[in-house]
Amino acid sequence: MPDLVAMGGLNTSLLIGMQALEVSEGALNATSNNIANSNTPGYTREIPEISETPETVSGGTVTGGGVSLDGLQSVRDELLNLQIQQQTSAQSGADTESSALEQIQTNFASTGNDIASTFSAFSSSLAQLSASPSSTAAQAGVISSGQNLAESFNTAANSLTAEQSAMNTQVTQTVAQINSLTQQIAQLNGQVSQLTAAGQDGGTIEDQRDELVQQLSQLTGISVTQSSDGEVITTGNGTPLVMGSQSYSLQTTTGSNGMQHVLDSNGTDITATLQGGTLGGSIQVRDHVIPSYLTQLNTLASQFASAFNAAQAKGFGSNGNAGQNFFSVPANGAGAAAGITVSITDPSQIAISSDGAAGSNGNVANLSAALTNALPSGQTPSQAYANLVFQVGNDASNASTQSTAIGQNILQLTNQQSSVSGVSIDEETTNLIRYQTAYEAAARIVSTIQQLGTVTLDMGSSQSY
Amino acid sequence: MRVNPNMVPDILADLQQSQTAVNTSLQEVATGKSVNVPSDNPVAASDMVQNTIETANVDQYTQNVSSTLSMVQTADSSLGSVVTSLTQAISLGTEGANGTNNSTDLQEIATQVQGILQSVVAQANTSYQGTYLFGGTETASTPYTASAASSSGYAYNGNNDTNSVAVGDDMNVQVNLPGSQIFSSSNTDVLGSLSSLVSALQSGNSSQIQTATSGVTTALNYVSQQRVFYGNAVSQMNLQETSLQQETVSLTSQQSNLIDVNEAQAATELSQAETANNAAEAAAAKVLPDTLLNFLVPTQ
Repeated sequence: MPDLVAMGGLNTSLLIGMQALEVSEGALNATSNNIANSNTPGYTREIPEISETPETVSGGTVTGGGVSLDGLQSVRDELLNLQIQQQTSAQSGADTESSALEQIQTNFASTGNDIASTFSAFSSSLAQLSASPSSTAAQAGVISSGQNLAESFNTAANSLTAEQSAMNTQVTQTVAQINSLTQQIAQLNGQVSQLTAAGQDGGTIEDQRDELVQQLSQLTGISVTQSSDGEVITTGNGTPLVMGSQSYSLQTTTGSNGMQHVLDSNGTDITATLQGGTLGGSIQVRDHVIPSYLTQLNTLASQFASAFNAAQAKGFGSNGNAGQNFFSVPANGAGAAAGITVSITDPSQIAISSDGAAGSNGNVANLSAALTNALPSGQTPSQAYANLVFQVGNDASNASTQSTAIGQNILQLTNQQSSVSGVSIDEETTNLIRYQTAYEAAARIVSTIQQLGTVTLDMGSSQSY
Repeated sequence: MRVNPNMVPDILADLQQSQTAVNTSLQEVATGKSVNVPSDNPVAASDMVQNTIETANVDQYTQNVSSTLSMVQTADSSLGSVVTSLTQAISLGTEGANGTNNSTDLQEIATQVQGILQSVVAQANTSYQGTYLFGGTETASTPYTASAASSSGYAYNGNNDTNSVAVGDDMNVQVNLPGSQIFSSSNTDVLGSLSSLVSALQSGNSSQIQTATSGVTTALNYVSQQRVFYGNAVSQMNLQETSLQQETVSLTSQQSNLIDVNEAQAATELSQAETANNAAEAAAAKVLPDTLLNFLVPTQ
């Protein structure tokens, strides 16, 4: 450069004009790239880093050194990214729970086939039997409404089990998605650290990685830290997923309860520690929410069946025989709700009579009392069921409220992130005009200098003018 | 501070929110219910379990009251006929005991009393919709049949048990007395007193007729006492019917408070939600296309 300066003032100006053209081109490039990617997910706007070239002092004269483009810089806020990732995990977990509970709760809504409706039909069929103990229609009504009650228990239990196994499948699928994402992230991590080592901006590769980390945070709760060789990503409890350019795969294995357990790369079972994201949400619903409902439903079914059978045993059927079990439940209480059935088929086996006479209704009061008396759990059957309905409704409502609240949070954070990193068309248009003007002016400098050069060269010639 | 240039997520969230409000209001207006699934209002959904069961039971109790009421009234009117018959027998007995009748007259009176005995037995064998009312809980077999072995000439085939009908939670009303208590009690045997009167009339002995007649008078008083039971059952059930009606009203209003929508309020909410949604859409349509480019005059 000093040699050019030595060549004289006009050449210096020409050089400065050329630099200005290059810088404006670079800036226009950045602007057009920003506009092109204004709707690209995860894109971070880039700004040209322009600085003035140091001036030259030669013989007491100060000459401006022009301009140079140092590179393009992505405008990102890593702290905001981290917060968005955390909230995304939380929301995705709540969403998974919420959509599972939406499906579960339809079984507990008042549809006419739900346990509350069939229980009330059973109860009123017994009341009818009290008024017409010898009516075969009333007797058959008790058997069929008893069967409906048993079936609504079966349906509720089976749909809970079906939802549980759907969640189980989701665990396996999510683990596979996590493994695929962590591999890609590790690869990009390696590229970013090479660029950073060379003193360059990670730019688009960093954008891609951030977008993948964002996707990963939807699948499970993660914690992200920076290290010398790139990002370190672990699950919430510290199981490594990505360290620099190395990824660690999770595995699944069938546990003793028939459900898929998640193992880390060393084979340690980490199922219980996973929280947040689709994975955490699925595990929460599969291992805690549904088993809790099933336990309550099973307890209710088996205790109610025992209480009703005990009332049956106190009386006699219209056939004169001592009352036998009305309901049968699997001996193992765990499958009570799914397995409860009505074990008698002949209406004459309903223990209506207290004295063995066909016209007696003396035992109906005992049968009805089995529906309203407290079970060993301390609650009446309808209280126990009402509690379960409340719990299901409350869980579903909480999960959806939580998801909405976190959604608001994420919207705020995304707004902030967008206000830092988002492409503004207005801003880019303004920049476009600025750089266009600057480019035109720089081009004018070059052409002016060229004209002046011609004038200078012609100075010696008499024919010039 | 730099302003967020991308309004799309915000606008989408707003539109989604206002659309959700419209959907919710629409569903409430369409179904007439504010609680369609438990999560809409867990407490109300849980309270509705009890309400559903109670409502069905109260319906059934009401039916029980009306069917039992006609059964009890049938029994009561049977006993009313028995009282009339016994009163007739007493006047016949009194007539037979006054000593002015010859033996033919007495035989005739005896035949009349025998007829009264048969009609009382017929009342004792009253059935209602195929079940015998005075056989205890042996409702399928005829309570009194002719039997030479019995002193009254009729044997009791029923038992001494009673039935009670559920007409409310924890409220069972006893609806029958066994025939053995009304007609052939060991203390006051109504049928026996009539058959004694027949025998006395046939024998023609005035003092025997007198004794037998006072026996029938005792029986009449006894039956009237027993009949009070049915009168009480009827009034108990009438009272219960009123209270069940009140219970139905209060259950319906509870249900309405728990899960029904207030139509006027729901309609207002729907129209508010629609207005809000329209406003959000209008704002989005106005704001979204605006960029600086709209205002730059293109250079030719």
